[in-house]
Amino acid sequence: MNEENVTLDQLNPGQSAQVKKIHGQGAVRRRLMEMGLTRGVQIDVVKASPLGDPVDYLVRGYHLSLRKAEAQLIEVII
Amino acid sequence: MTVMIALAGNPNVGKSTIFNALTGSRQHVGNWPGKTVEKKEGRLRVGDEEILLVDLPGAYSLTAYSIEEIITRDFIVHERPTAVVAVVDASNLERNLYLVAQVLELETPVIIVLNMTDVASNRGLKIDAAQLSRRMGGIPVVETVGNRSLGLEPLKQAIKQVTENPPLALPQAQYDGVLGAEMAALAAQITQNPVLVAHYQPRWLATKLLENDEAIVEALEAQGETELLAAAAAAQARIEDATEDDAETLIADQRYTFIGDLVASVLERPSTSILTTSDKIDEIVTHRIWGLPIFLLMMWLVFQFTSNVSAPFLDWVDGFVNGTIYGWAGALLTAVGLGDTWFAALLTDGIIAGVGGVLVFVPVLLFLYMALAVLEDSGYMARAAFVMDRVMRWMGLHGKSFLPLIVGFGCTVPAVYATRTLENEKDRKLTGFLATFMSCGARLPVYVVFGAAFFGTASGNLIFSMYLVGIAVALATGFALKYTVYKGQQPAPFVMELPPYRLPRPLDVWRQMWERVQGFLIKASTVILAVSTVLWLMMAVPGRANAGSFNDVAAEDSLFAVLSGAVSPIFQPAGFGSWEASGSLITGFMAKEVIVGTMSQIFVGEEVAAAEVTEPASFGEQVGEAVLGFGEAAVLTVQELLNIAPRTINLLPGVTLPTFNFFGIEEEVVDNTRLEAALIGSFERSAGSAALGALAAVAFNVFVLLYVPCMVAVAAMRQEFGNRWTLAQVGYTLAVAWIAAVLVFQVGKLFI
Repeated sequence: MNEENVTLDQLNPGQSAQVKKIHGQGAVRRRLMEMGLTRGVQIDVVKASPLGDPVDYLVRGYHLSLRKAEAQLIEVII
Repeated sequence: MTVMIALAGNPNVGKSTIFNALTGSRQHVGNWPGKTVEKKEGRLRVGDEEILLVDLPGAYSLTAYSIEEIITRDFIVHERPTAVVAVVDASNLERNLYLVAQVLELETPVIIVLNMTDVASNRGLKIDAAQLSRRMGGIPVVETVGNRSLGLEPLKQAIKQVTENPPLALPQAQYDGVLGAEMAALAAQITQNPVLVAHYQPRWLATKLLENDEAIVEALEAQGETELLAAAAAAQARIEDATEDDAETLIADQRYTFIGDLVASVLERPSTSILTTSDKIDEIVTHRIWGLPIFLLMMWLVFQFTSNVSAPFLDWVDGFVNGTIYGWAGALLTAVGLGDTWFAALLTDGIIAGVGGVLVFVPVLLFLYMALAVLEDSGYMARAAFVMDRVMRWMGLHGKSFLPLIVGFGCTVPAVYATRTLENEKDRKLTGFLATFMSCGARLPVYVVFGAAFFGTASGNLIFSMYLVGIAVALATGFALKYTVYKGQQPAPFVMELPPYRLPRPLDVWRQMWERVQGFLIKASTVILAVSTVLWLMMAVPGRANAGSFNDVAAEDSLFAVLSGAVSPIFQPAGFGSWEASGSLITGFMAKEVIVGTMSQIFVGEEVAAAEVTEPASFGEQVGEAVLGFGEAAVLTVQELLNIAPRTINLLPGVTLPTFNFFGIEEEVVDNTRLEAALIGSFERSAGSAALGALAAVAFNVFVLLYVPCMVAVAAMRQEFGNRWTLAQVGYTLAVAWIAAVLVFQVGKLFI
């Protein structure tokens, strides 16, 4: 189960994972952490938008949508 | 001294409902200095104390991420409110408390308002408010249900308590290990610096430096605090060495750890998560297949709402100001012996006509703002962005940009204001820029007249291609900007909350409508008065020797005609280099439908409408008529509202339901034969031949479509985007319009 370097965008709706590390830099990275994506937090993939991107995630009890570009910055443990 | 309290909270937590409930009508809406973000202030009385309540923009955090968050932070840091009332969504406690934790780091007393406790309990969440207060060092925690005004009295009592006895110690996230030690050392160093202590709380500043906060680092660089910045950088390096993690991550982690511990002790979650109504709605609204059709339907409804439903009142305002008031002013001026003077003409044709031009937008904007407020407050706007983002990103835009662009097909003015729903300033400006190319309703009459004159039964092709040209130019502009002005810039990140669906509160919706329309009236009227007065002056001043006197000059001899004539050679390459064409383009800046009016004035003499001379009615009758007209407009509004249903169903192929027509009003058919004949003659002369005349007409229509939207739209852009951006836009649209018109004429010539 412990795959190396899985990022959030590789997950399918219905899957869950734990945040391992936020990559990227500056404002985007800080924003992701402020929105509650800190180490160890559980994140559920809810569904993709009709055109496939962005994707709706459930984190800390609320719905957060991220584009693939942002989801790629989030390294997770399945 | 009045006590100042700030109201802060995440977006979509019902903050403005609480603000409205606390201050009632005692509020003032303006803008934050130098920003296009709304600033709301209100007053309330608690006991004997008069309290100034400042509503801060919605913010998820106090970092320098968006203008809203910078404003919120600067206000708390520099204005030092007595206390911050933090509105917290009880159904989303953890993320909401992140902002609270940051406010507490600013050593500002906090009152927590647990709003939407009803939503929380629907989800099976149980929150122990008393325990939360105890765990947070006794700071007041008040439970409210924002949309039912429950819990307001306890909130007022809590405000009273905090202002009278500010708490001594505030709970704060504890930073431990290397991070904590470095932070303490940095704070100690800051404490030694009296200049910094006067402006910042040392520990908070230390936190911001370790977080690498751009705004703070820049401010300190400007103040020459190189030593402190170097110390901060060294501390960051040591932290990274010791923990293999950067300070920023550790700070966010530990804040959330602090919050997590708090929440764990006060929140009871249901063993299995409950599927709420909101989740069920979302399953349909953002459905893989239904999501897009539902989105398009919503946009169609908004468009119907702003164009058709607002039309009856628009007509009424137009008739009332440009008919009734215009007539009264004329009669009044005649009564005092000023009839037929230049002053009378300035007042009626210049000022009243100009003000009328502003007021006709009020119904449109009221309906637009109603639609926007409902979309935003209900939570649908975020879904619209979610569904459309992929398409809009292609043009370098955000999912939320779609709505202003759609509204632009109705009218550019509300489209510009609709850009406010976008969080990012770049997105707002770019969307506003492109929205002007969406062919608005006022441009349609021009295409109709020209289409009928030059293409007869095929006029539909001209009209339809104008809409396509507008979209194509917007697309091209979006791409061009993406690869030039914004080259190399990352698109604004898309990290968007999908808030739970909620029923909008009519009072909040009404307030948003009214506040924004008020803002429009104040800002737009200055520009518009100036422009209409100048245009009137140009029409009144003779432009040739011996061509009459001030306010007594034939149209073709006025300064306006002379200037138009001077401009006209510019349009020769596009085939419409006559003074009549240039002149109508100049007046078209007032409002594009005026182009038709000007042309008929020039070519046919008098406007058809003005030719109907009716029996003068008494004052009483006129008032009666105005009131009746208002009632009729109200009924017609209901009619148009009902008509949305058949019109929507008629979108299905092969279905034609009849629409309601309460008064049996038949569409007025304006006889334009004389105007059409004159237009054909004029364009054939300026273009050189009969075949080229039609081509020149197409070029003219392309120019009308693309050049500067009307002055009201320019005034709106100035209000929203500032002078520089507006000037750039005016310049760009003129250039693009000219190039496109010339291209149409010159390239078209090759094929004729």
